[in-house]
Order: sequence, then C-alpha cells, then structure tokens
Amino acid sequence: MSFFRRFSRSPEAVIGASILGVLVVMALFAPLLFPRDPLSIAGPALLRPFQDWSLPLGTDRLGRDVLAGLFHGARTSLAVGLASAATAIIIGTIVGTLAGFAGGLTDEALMRITDAFQTVPGFLLALAFVSVIGPSLFVVVLAIALGTWTGPARIARAEVLSIRERDYVASARVIGMHPLEIAFREVLPNALPPVLALSSVIVAAAILTEAALSFLGLGDPNRVTWGGMIAEGRTVLRSAPFLSIIPGIALVLTVLGVYLAGEGAVETTAVRRGRS
Amino acid sequence: MSDFTISRRGVLAGSALLLASTALPGILRAQEAKKGGRLIVAADSEPRNLNPAIVASNGVFFVASKVVEPLAEASFEGKDGLDPRLATSWEGSSDGLTVTFKLRENVTWHDGKPFTSADVAFSALQIWKPLQNLGRVVFKDLEAVDTPDEHTAVFRFAKPTPFQLIRNALPALTSVVPKHIFEKGEIADNPANTALIGTGPFKFAEHKPGEYYRLERNDKYWGEGEPHLDEIVYRVLPDRAAAAGALEAEEIHLAAFSAVPLADLERISKVPGIEVISKGYEALTYQLVVEINHRRKELADVKVRQAIAHAIDKDFVVKTIFLGYAKAATGPVPQNDPQFYTKDVPTYAFDVAKANALLDEAGYKRGSDGTRFALKLLPAPYFNETKQFGDYLRQALAEIGINAELVNNDAAGHQKAVYTDHTFDLAVAPPVFRGDPAISTTILVQSGIPDGVPFSNQGGYANADLDALIAKASETLDPEARIALYRDFQKKVAEDLPLINVAEWGFITVARNTVKNVSNNPRWAVSNWADTVLET
Repeated sequence: MSFFRRFSRSPEAVIGASILGVLVVMALFAPLLFPRDPLSIAGPALLRPFQDWSLPLGTDRLGRDVLAGLFHGARTSLAVGLASAATAIIIGTIVGTLAGFAGGLTDEALMRITDAFQTVPGFLLALAFVSVIGPSLFVVVLAIALGTWTGPARIARAEVLSIRERDYVASARVIGMHPLEIAFREVLPNALPPVLALSSVIVAAAILTEAALSFLGLGDPNRVTWGGMIAEGRTVLRSAPFLSIIPGIALVLTVLGVYLAGEGAVETTAVRRGRS
Repeated sequence: MSDFTISRRGVLAGSALLLASTALPGILRAQEAKKGGRLIVAADSEPRNLNPAIVASNGVFFVASKVVEPLAEASFEGKDGLDPRLATSWEGSSDGLTVTFKLRENVTWHDGKPFTSADVAFSALQIWKPLQNLGRVVFKDLEAVDTPDEHTAVFRFAKPTPFQLIRNALPALTSVVPKHIFEKGEIADNPANTALIGTGPFKFAEHKPGEYYRLERNDKYWGEGEPHLDEIVYRVLPDRAAAAGALEAEEIHLAAFSAVPLADLERISKVPGIEVISKGYEALTYQLVVEINHRRKELADVKVRQAIAHAIDKDFVVKTIFLGYAKAATGPVPQNDPQFYTKDVPTYAFDVAKANALLDEAGYKRGSDGTRFALKLLPAPYFNETKQFGDYLRQALAEIGINAELVNNDAAGHQKAVYTDHTFDLAVAPPVFRGDPAISTTILVQSGIPDGVPFSNQGGYANADLDALIAKASETLDPEARIALYRDFQKKVAEDLPLINVAEWGFITVARNTVKNVSNNPRWAVSNWADTVLET
C-alpha cells in the first residue's frame, strides 16, 4: 500500500491535512485576493459580520477588514510556525548529533546547555528575548526556536548514540572518513526521522507562542497576526465579541490541523516501518 | 376572646405602622448627607513614589490628593477658577517679585502636629523647586519664602514671575508635606514618600502591593462635617476590561480615568444603577500630539510637516478612535481652556490631494513602488487610544506615500527611545495641558532642554522666534499682555508645526449611582473627595 492510501485511511489525518491545505491556500492567495495592506482602513468601524458582502466578516475598531486580516494572518502564522520549527530542528539536530557522536566532554557540555535551556519555560524565554531585542518577525522566529530546539536535540542525541555503534559507521571509520563527515553524512540522515516526527508538535506550539506574543503586544506591529487581532478585539469583547472569536477559531483550527496531520503522518510511517 | 379578633383593618393598620417605622429614619436621614461607608474605586497603577509634592502626575494624585492637600484646588465657580484649601487667600505684588499666602488656621497633620507656614516654606524650597517635575519650571526663580507669622507665607522671586502663572499652578504644583517628617535625612528615601502624611480628609492606612490601597477617615479634618466617607479603598485592577465587570458586579463603586474602555461605555451606560460621567476632567485635558524629530532632513521641511497635518483626518480620529469622547485640536492650547485659547490659528483640513501636492513641491516624489520615504513611528504605550492612533497614522501616511514602520515599546523603553536616545522620526504622545501654557506646554516647543526630560521638546526643534516669545511671556506680568503673547504662541506653533496637535480629550468616570457629589470640580478625580457621599 502506498503512503498516501494508508494516510487517507485515517480520518483524523485527512481532516488535519484538509485544514492545512485550506490554510496554505489562504496564505498563498492572500495577496491576490486582498491586494491592499490588510491593516488599511476599508470601511466603517465595528461593522458586524454578514452585514455587508464586500466586508463579509465585518471590520474592527478602526474599520479594517477582518477577512483580509484572517487571510494575511494565516501567512504570518504559517511562516512563523514553519520557520521556527525548521530553525529549532536544525539547531537541535546539529547539537544532538555533535553531542551524541563526539561523546565525552563535548557531550557533557552540550547536554548541560540543553538542560539549562530546558529548565526555563520556552514562552518566558521568548518573552524576555523579544522584549529585550524588540519585536520583528525575524526576532520572534528566533525567540520561539530558542525555546523549542532542546526537544529535537535530545532525541537526535539518543538516536545517534545507538546509530554510532552500527557496523556501517565502524566501516566508515575504517576507510578513514573524517569524523564530522561521518556524523553529518552517515549518522544524521538516519537519526532524522524520529526528530521530524516531533515537528508537528513544534509547529503547533510555535503558532500558539507567536499568537501569545502578539496578544501581549510583542508581535511585529506592522503585520497582521491572529494573536494581535484577538488582543485588539479584547477591549470590545463585550460589545463586539466576533473580533476575538473569529481569529480565535482560526487559531484553534490551525493548531488542530497541524497536529492531526502530523500525527497521521507519524502513524502511517510507523506502520510502514513496522511492516518492512 | 373578642380582644384578639384579627380584623382586616387591624392588620392593615398594623403593617402600615411597621412600614412607616422603617421608612421614617430614611426620610430623616435624607435631610443631611449620610455619614460613613467604604468607597471602593478601581486603580490601574501603583506608582513607586506616591509623594505628590515630588511627582506631580495624575497617577499619583489619584490616591495621594485625598491625603496631601495643595494650597488651592480648581473649582467651577470660585474666583479665578480656584477654591481655597490650605491657603485661604493669595495676592501677588505689582512688581511680580512676591506672592503672599494667608494660610488656614487650626489645621493639624495626621500625626497631630500643627500645620504652619514653616511647612509651606520647606515644601516650596526643598521639594517643589528642586525636586518636582513641574515645579522645577514654574518655581525656578523662587528665592526665599518668608514666614512673618505661623499663618503667612511670602514667596520671593529673583525675577518677576507672573502671578497668573502661580495662581494657575496652585492646584497641581503646591501639595504641602510636613517639614518635621521630611527634614530628617534624604528626602528621596523618606518612608513618608509612600506612607503619606498630610492634612487631607483621609489618612493613609495601608498599601498591599498588587491588591489595594486603603485610606481612612481623618476625624480631625478642618472641613466642617467632612469627610463623609469612612474609608476609601483603591482596588488595583490593571486590566481595563476588569473594571467594567467589577462595576457591574458591584465589587467597586467607581472607575475614573476611563478605566472602563470607551468602546464599552455605550453598553454599560444602559446597565441600571451605573452612570457614565464625562464632567470633572476640565483642568486635566490630555492632548493627542504627533511629536516630530526635526533631525530627519525630510521632517525639517515645514512643507512635509504640513502635508502630514493635512493627511490626518481629525474627524475620523475623534469619531472612531475616541468614539466621540474627544475634540479635534486646533493648536497647543485646548479649546476648553477659559483663559488662553484662541481659534484664530492656521488650520489643516483633511485633504490628501493637497498633502500629496505639498510633498511633491518639497521635492519628495513617489518612487517606483509608490513611496516617497520611510519613517519610524513610535506610538506611546500609555493609552489604548495612543496605540490605535499609531495604527491609524501609519495608514494615513501610506495614503500620501510615506511608509511608516511602527515600533512598539513598553513605557520605559518608549521614554528612553524618544526622550533620551531620540531614535524616532515620529512619535505619538499624550501631553497634559494644566491650566497655563507655561506649566507643561511651552516645554514641548522650547529649545535647549537637556536630553532625557520626558514630555518636552526632544525632537531637536529650534526656532529663535518662538524661544523669544516663550521667554518674554514667562516674565510678562500683566495678565492681558501675557494672554496675548500666548495667543501669538498658538498661532506660530500652528504655522510652523514643531509638533502636530490632533485631538484633545478628558477622561470618563463610570460610577454607581449611589456615589454622590461626583465630578463637582474640574480636577475631581484628583481632588480630595471630602464631600463625596456613598448612599446605602
């Protein structure tokens, strides 16, 4: 059975993948559907949803189009989620591979650093980092990666510890390959799959962290973000709750979609590995 | 047996009597203000230094003005807009070199010591002049305070100082603190900076950080029959959405300084038992201002500044951001000021085409991507409205081809970036007009102010004409001539736009209708609340 057929058998995975698909389409087509700056004032303030079909989801306190914000916000959320997960996994696997493969003092030092990062709650770390350096998209991505790279690092190290004892690694040593070359060309690719299985969790966490940072006013103020939209709507929560509810639902669906799709992918590959 | 027959008439008469007996005291009580009760109000900040003689700001006054009193308070009816407090009369000499205060007799400090002219002299010379944020400007030429007797204080100035200015400064700048407490040791380290000791209607009882301040009734207050309340508790509710909920749940009686968000006012005004009051802030007008860094070569060009002024739709700002609870500004003095305001100044109507033409004329043509140049815009984080105006201004500037990048900072970071490091091009600020342009308004325009002074001209603007005008007004004694100079000042500022005044607003008080005598003076939220009554 092909991967896709097995994947499509699990209903959760299909739901997750379709949500993600919609999200990716939203993000890709946002600039085509809403060519104006989503922060520009498009109509009267606090227009309720489904009143005016040129602004189907209504407008916020300044008269900005909520639907345009939702589409452009999807871009930010996905971009931040993917970029931080990628950064975290790259940093994590490099550190983990080095520690596991080198062993000894290097291993000790790198793992104690990992421990140090792991003892600080990731969100607090991101909060401190952003408030010191100042909010911009790049800093936010870095801040989130800073709190999440430890998971991949630990898993990569554990994998490397078992892989480095295998015969093909020993033979690579015998033919005189440079240790670094062995680590990154022979060991790392084989240690990667379990680390990648972690990526869906990291992406979901990163999207949530970005939303939380924006909610606290530490997001990039020049971009629409769902967290920022929720925070904006909070001041009028009693009189215009839709302003917080709409981006809130989008956020929940996204995180759910990423998680379900990731879970589905992991299960599918696990089944395949088990059979082979 | 017949003695105990229960007739319908008998029951009715008996119950009527019972009813009357409970209603009677109520009727009697209504004749005079009811004593007692604990008033619970929302507080949104806990200032580190609570001494109003040192930190003359509304956040401090909100709590401290009930404990520490000024020489006079602002008033709707009183002569020159003042009501006596610790001083009973004040008079300036014709040469502008002395001001004589007659002080109230039989006033005691909360620790039982008598209040005398020595306390006033000490406060003025040791605190207001050297230490107070506003007093440093107004009392800079104060040389000595003579105390011929215990109830007379004569202020002597080195240079002629307009009596009008001193008079206008009395409510905010002259909080009197006890000499016998503050003369020992460093003033800045004195415990009475937080555990206040004053002469006011309420005594400072306790402060639980993060929870509440509690003030209790001063039984020896000089005001006859005052205060009416037993206690005032300030519940710390930093979350603005929480204040509205607490009012509805009857957990608090009053939320001042727009603690209830403007967007919530329409809804909450319909809740029975809750009143929305916009009176009582007339002497505390906040101004929404765009601060400009004139070190940027584009912004040093008056045409660019005029273009920005034309690009701002003040009507939209008032209606959408302030939901109508503000007025469009014309210049640096707010329209509700009874003494100095003039509407005879150049105005900048909302006109995008004209703004674009002005920018073309100034030589900043649109590039291929439609933008002329990029700017950094720093909205002050203190109010929701200043942040929202930042969002709006970015869009308004985009319409005229200026690409503004918003930079958000927390309060400390914003102050440092704008007033010390000058790392801004445009900033949104909320300065306060305090009844006289010389107190906190001319400082926004004047050149030569050291780096780091908040709410002052840190944009590198220097205009010799305006500087000369400000200097002349500061030593002009005749009130009429002084007013004429400040009208000229407003005109010149509106013409040259060292900063752009967009709107001016007072705050909103939301109170349960059991609280009486609310907003009965133009600085009500920061006045002493001696006559405030809580009905039960």
